[in-house]
Amino acid sequence: MSAVTSQFSRVHISGLLRERTALLIALIIATSVAMSFISPYFLVVDNLLTMTQFGAVIGLLALGQTLVILGGGGGIDISVGSMLSLCGVLMGMVVAQGVSVWVAAATALAIGLFLGALNGFLVTVVGIPALIATLGTLYLFGSSAQVLAGGTQIGGFDQAGFSFLGTGTVIGIPTQVLFVLLPVYALAAWAMRRTLFGRRVYEVGNNDRASRLVGASPARTRFSLYCLSGLLAGLGAVVTNSWLLVARPGAGEGFELQSITIAVLGGTHIFGGRGRVSGTLLAVLLIVILSSGLQLAGVDPSWQAGVLGVVLVLSVVLNNAFVRGSGERA
Amino acid sequence: MTTDLTRRSPTPPQGSVKDRRPRRVGPVRQLVVPLLLALELVVFASLSDNFLTSGNLANVVLNSVDLALIAGGLTLVIILGGIDVSTGPALGVVAWVVGTLTVAGVPPPLVVLLAIALGGLMGLINGAIVSLLNVTAIIATLGTAAVWQTTLFGLWGGTDLFAPPVSTYAAADRLFGVPTVAFLVVVVYAVLWYVSRYRAFGRHVYAVGNDIEAARLSGVLVRRVTLLTYVLVGCLVGLAAVVYMARVGVVQASSGADLSLAAIAAVVVGGTSITGGRGSVIGTLFGVLFIAVLQNGVVLTGVPPLWNGVLVGLFILLAVGIDVVSDRLSARRAARA
Repeated sequence: MSAVTSQFSRVHISGLLRERTALLIALIIATSVAMSFISPYFLVVDNLLTMTQFGAVIGLLALGQTLVILGGGGGIDISVGSMLSLCGVLMGMVVAQGVSVWVAAATALAIGLFLGALNGFLVTVVGIPALIATLGTLYLFGSSAQVLAGGTQIGGFDQAGFSFLGTGTVIGIPTQVLFVLLPVYALAAWAMRRTLFGRRVYEVGNNDRASRLVGASPARTRFSLYCLSGLLAGLGAVVTNSWLLVARPGAGEGFELQSITIAVLGGTHIFGGRGRVSGTLLAVLLIVILSSGLQLAGVDPSWQAGVLGVVLVLSVVLNNAFVRGSGERA
Repeated sequence: MTTDLTRRSPTPPQGSVKDRRPRRVGPVRQLVVPLLLALELVVFASLSDNFLTSGNLANVVLNSVDLALIAGGLTLVIILGGIDVSTGPALGVVAWVVGTLTVAGVPPPLVVLLAIALGGLMGLINGAIVSLLNVTAIIATLGTAAVWQTTLFGLWGGTDLFAPPVSTYAAADRLFGVPTVAFLVVVVYAVLWYVSRYRAFGRHVYAVGNDIEAARLSGVLVRRVTLLTYVLVGCLVGLAAVVYMARVGVVQASSGADLSLAAIAAVVVGGTSITGGRGSVIGTLFGVLFIAVLQNGVVLTGVPPLWNGVLVGLFILLAVGIDVVSDRLSARRAARA
């Protein structure tokens, strides 16, 4: 029965998403053209480089956010930024013990996975609504990062070629995009489309009960989504540390808003079950172009938050218009 | 007896957004925060000699008035099934306007009225986006939060704005040793409590939060109720901004930013369900006191202020966790009976 529903809705979804993809691509082209008129530096290689370096980290967090929201049931993870900060600081503390930076990076990933699992436990086992659970851990993880770092930065990452990950390029493409961001997105896109796990995620996102009837456990599926979000935040921390070469306890502040904005802009429905990894990637690209263009146009970075807020609301209004237009949900 | 009936719903609390959980604040839940508050008082009183002095307790009250005003309005928004994460930045914008008007010599009553009106306008924008454009509240207010934040940044323009209190009533004045603004909180909460329990508007807020479809079918004007609730919280944010400005005396680029999450924390610690439909403003008052005492006590006992967030986070999880688990246990007990 669930297979039928999910098949049925998928027909509608694909139409919707194609429109979304076309819209995003059109917006990306329009923004790029506008920005290259505003600033002659926009299309210079150096600028494109810096742009995508920033995009890699927020892209990883936005992917985690997309997955958690896709799982439905009010799923959201507003602790992504705090997880990134805490993983980064703990990684710095491991490095300070004289351990190889690569081992420390692996530790950061493990810690990210653990923090994500903690979120997943609170939401799926204890049963705290996701918004509140991750609000609590946002405070908890973020402040823990501050406490552990004592309010200062932690350095010591410049060893064993670690900085290559964050600052190097291969055939003109930043390493973290070529070797981290793109493979991760490719893997996620494949998993969501071709594996049983991906199918389960769309099922629980669409219909809890139906998914339980086919023998899947919505709780278990959602738990693993929070774990993935944590793991991606850990990966984001590794990339940030190799880019800045210091761990800042406030490194992830504000990323929660950005990651939600990107996920929603990319076509992920806030109630779950609908959306695609590729949409999120396109939205990352759009946001990166937008903010770097604004920066080149001499607009203070603080103004970008406001633009982002407007974009966020508009993208949902747009979503609603499309959804209503297709007659899928009244 | 009626509580028993409403509790007979074995649906597990997590899962679908529209679960049918018992809607009244459970007996366990009602006691959790007062007990935690009492525990807090005992612990801090034994750890620090300065804690139980009238001067310090007046400070606790004085420092939590703006939070209390915001959280009171936010309680209704959350009971409605919505959320507002833009209250902090909105307070920052209004505080800047209040400061500017005060410096310009505008008469205090007018400043207060304008502050409430401006806050109400910002609430109206939130309410319109949520109810007319059908944007989910969390998304809508995340968006406006960013816009208000940016607006404040633009207004601030690189120089901190210093201003005297609008009136000494809003800052230092005491009545029987209690800061006068505390009476403001009492009045606002009394009105909110009365409206939410005994007026049609208040009952409609609960009805929408419980089941929006059922509310609509029984003739509740859902859009109007939604709009009004967001305007209400906006007005209270405006009022809170006056008190905030009188207390802090300076507006910076990030003024008020941390109040958004603190207000949500106060509401949920106070027992209001984040999924809407149940909770009370009285619970929120306990939630506010709990957080205010925690922050004050932590400083007095010499714990570095960096620990504040850790403790607030832990207590959000603890209070809501106890709530959710006790709900599930009583639902299971009711199902067995």
